[in-house]
Amino acid sequence: MSVLGVAIFMGCYYWFCRLRFGYTFSSALLQPVTIAVFVGLITGDMKNAMMIGAGLQLVYMGVTSTPGGNVPSDPALAGCIAIPLGVAAGMNPQTAIALAIPFGVLGVFVDQLRRTTNAIWVHMADRYAEKADTKGIMRAAFLYPAAAGFIIRFPIVFIIDYFGVSVAQNLIEILPAWLSHSFEIMGGILPALGFAITLTVIGKKNLIPFFIAGFFAVIYLGLDTMAVAIFATCIALLLNLFKLKEEEA
Amino acid sequence: MSETTTNQEMTKLDKKDITKSMWIYYAGAELSNSYERLQSLVFCASMTPILKKLYTTDEELSAALKRHLVFFNTEGILGAIIQGIVISMEEQKANGESITDDAITGIKTGLMGPVAGMGDAIIWAAVMPIIFSIFLPFASNGSALGGIMPLILYPLITIVISYYLIHNGYTLGKKSIVSLLHGGRMKNIIFTANVIGLTMMGALSASYITLSTPLQFSFSGGSTIVIQEVLDLIVPGLLPLSAVFIIYAYLKKKGPHYTKILLTVVIVSIITSLLGIF
Repeated sequence: MSVLGVAIFMGCYYWFCRLRFGYTFSSALLQPVTIAVFVGLITGDMKNAMMIGAGLQLVYMGVTSTPGGNVPSDPALAGCIAIPLGVAAGMNPQTAIALAIPFGVLGVFVDQLRRTTNAIWVHMADRYAEKADTKGIMRAAFLYPAAAGFIIRFPIVFIIDYFGVSVAQNLIEILPAWLSHSFEIMGGILPALGFAITLTVIGKKNLIPFFIAGFFAVIYLGLDTMAVAIFATCIALLLNLFKLKEEEA
Repeated sequence: MSETTTNQEMTKLDKKDITKSMWIYYAGAELSNSYERLQSLVFCASMTPILKKLYTTDEELSAALKRHLVFFNTEGILGAIIQGIVISMEEQKANGESITDDAITGIKTGLMGPVAGMGDAIIWAAVMPIIFSIFLPFASNGSALGGIMPLILYPLITIVISYYLIHNGYTLGKKSIVSLLHGGRMKNIIFTANVIGLTMMGALSASYITLSTPLQFSFSGGSTIVIQEVLDLIVPGLLPLSAVFIIYAYLKKKGPHYTKILLTVVIVSIITSLLGIF
């Protein structure tokens, strides 16, 4: 697809996934690995799209699991910009991640704007409720916020994805070695933020040894993720069994 | 059922109405979320198929709709159980039992906190990261499965949970939440999910945080000490693990200042790159 086509598609995608249509469906849609699937399909470069998506996913892994739905950083805006630009400019995943970070922060403000404008519709619904107009309430809950969301979200991604490709390509060429190496360091450290956030979200200090066990299961035993998932499930279930026995006794 | 005898026929909801209510709430739980009243609008919208059937006059319907436009916010998957309970209360009210508006609002506001806490712990802090991290290695290797599988599995699993909870909430009413909150089962589920989640996060940390130092010191005798080799002799993976726990300690102490941490990581990366530390 042409640059224009990609920019239009990504603008729409950002609008649609951030519309939050379908509670968990939309939150799966706005994850970088999922965005990467669609970028891969429209650009024809699935491999690089997925690799950049995976790198970004790690950074935002914990962010989406933050309670209360207050996004501290927006994986969708970061993904909708950094993945297509990264693929088009032939960036390595680390550079694309570094590029994504400022957009992830920008996305927070966009979301605040949405939640502020959404207050208009709830007042409208108050009036519909007065008139027992159930159709009006459905419109206020779905149609109006969707339309306003398009105006808020589509232009940002469209403009950056359309004009950004050549900028990104030039940027890669003039990037000095020390800076591109610092991007590599950044890409290496940033996943730690995602994991640290998950640790605080789960929030049980006495369970941290399980985190450390998982870490060293890979370092010393060289297990892959699926193997760790299987052993972790068995251990958790067995611990439950022992706990129940104790409580019965 | 109740022994109240009314002249009217009892209005009974069927399973379809309740499922429809679940779908509306699922579809829009975040869509119309506003700072002012959060999920109140979608909760009201999700009750419309129920209320339209229960209340025939415009006055009654209007009052019922307004009742559900009050502040409401909870976790959208486990929140289905509150919907189920509220639907059963509305049905009893419509059939002439003396249930006050306050009783319905009270149930909603009383339950939304604890349910949100459980939902965040199970759905968002465990189910979601576990599903995404299992398929992450596919994505890292450039396979689309890494994105497609979570996109199918996460909504599917959570919708099944919602479906079960709303019908359970409806048939058992208030009893369902008592068994949910006080039964040891819930605690065990959260414990199991947390153990799996944390172990997975640890495993991913080991594979995906890459931090090593090229530092080395040469001595006049011709011997050199490569710092990374020394670190590996103590404990391999020391630097990545430290990175997680330094950020974790900061988050615990100073609160969720994600942007500040991001900026710090950027600055640290540039400085250590210039100095050749990492």
